[in-house]
Amino acid sequence: MKKVYIPSKITSGMQGYELLLRFQDDLKGFSDAEIQISFLYVIWFEANLVAVLGAIIEDLEWKRNDVSIVEVDNYSVINNVLYRNGFFPRHGLNIHGISGGNTQISYKMFRKSEPHLYNDYIQAELLDNSAFPMHSRRLGGEIKRNIFELFENARTHGECSYIHTCGQFYPIKKKLNITIVDTGTTIIKNVRKHLKIDLEACECIDWAMEMNNTTKEGNTPGGLGLGLLFQFIRLNQGKIQVVSSNGYWELIGGKKRKMNLDFYFSGTIANLEFNLSQDELYQFADEVVDLDNIF
Amino acid sequence: MMIDIKDFINSGFAVSTDDGDKIFHMLNESFSKEEEVTLNFQGVTLMTTAFLNAAIGQLYGNNEYSSDFLNKNITLKNVQDQDVHLFSLVVKRAKEYFADKEGFEKNSNDSIYGSN
Repeated sequence: MKKVYIPSKITSGMQGYELLLRFQDDLKGFSDAEIQISFLYVIWFEANLVAVLGAIIEDLEWKRNDVSIVEVDNYSVINNVLYRNGFFPRHGLNIHGISGGNTQISYKMFRKSEPHLYNDYIQAELLDNSAFPMHSRRLGGEIKRNIFELFENARTHGECSYIHTCGQFYPIKKKLNITIVDTGTTIIKNVRKHLKIDLEACECIDWAMEMNNTTKEGNTPGGLGLGLLFQFIRLNQGKIQVVSSNGYWELIGGKKRKMNLDFYFSGTIANLEFNLSQDELYQFADEVVDLDNIF
Repeated sequence: MMIDIKDFINSGFAVSTDDGDKIFHMLNESFSKEEEVTLNFQGVTLMTTAFLNAAIGQLYGNNEYSSDFLNKNITLKNVQDQDVHLFSLVVKRAKEYFADKEGFEKNSNDSIYGSN
């Protein structure tokens, strides 16, 4: 039996991702083993990032490891959000009488063939959630559109078994965080294969985020979803972080940063933060579109 | 023929490539029977470019349909204001994509078989 400890503080900074990637790297040689993941030393785990931990566990289980989560009591005294968002219960841990509000967006795994279940999830977790901070209908629509664009991107490019997703909103700060993780083909592999150039990992992500760039080669055009997301997050003064293989790319406060990490993630992590107080209209220029003559 | 998108895909969310594919195949079939199609977006509350790329963007593949043909044979109805620009983005992108693809395939063929 192997017991591994989650680092004490996991946040959505570059260091937090590196800690999670290192954690996965430490376990990469294990198959057919019993693995206990301990929360003994955890004092902070950013709730939406359980989507990453869920993907790491999926990878371990795919290698026929028997994975369990243990020693959560100390952490649960500090914060019970991983019960509330369904992550601990998904791994067989339950407690009675959980309190603490409903600001969580549940942790879920979706199969590639289940896009309609994702629709239901967004409907239930965002649209029907009375605790969701007030914001304009237009902003809400743009946020949801961008979440779906990202989900479809993971579903159609990643060739993964599952997509893991989880979120959290912060009513006082008026922020919404959502993380979408797939364990399929990385952006790096897709871009290098498409361009036939050995670009650095972070440059591959940078290329994929540019409007009109796509690795699709079939009869369905692409290249808009991530470009629109990039533009929207910049207008919204939100945040987007992408980790794929050892590439790291972020846009925070309108500032882009990219670098290569020391460890590799066998898939793609996309973490989004939307600013719900940035409630201006997101009109796309003064474009006049004649739908009768659109083609 | 009038198609209510919401009923056709069984959802008010026109977001997935799979649902876009269904619309594309229905359009192809209607055109093969020389039927004009009205796409009614009443009740569609959310739309993505992923859906539209599959539903509309694919129509530009293989040079099967001209812009004139599509303008004459497809009518768009009840598109929400915030979605209108998506149609224009997707159509523009599809034209570029297939022009690039033709160029890419021509260049690949030229390098394999030699250019004239």
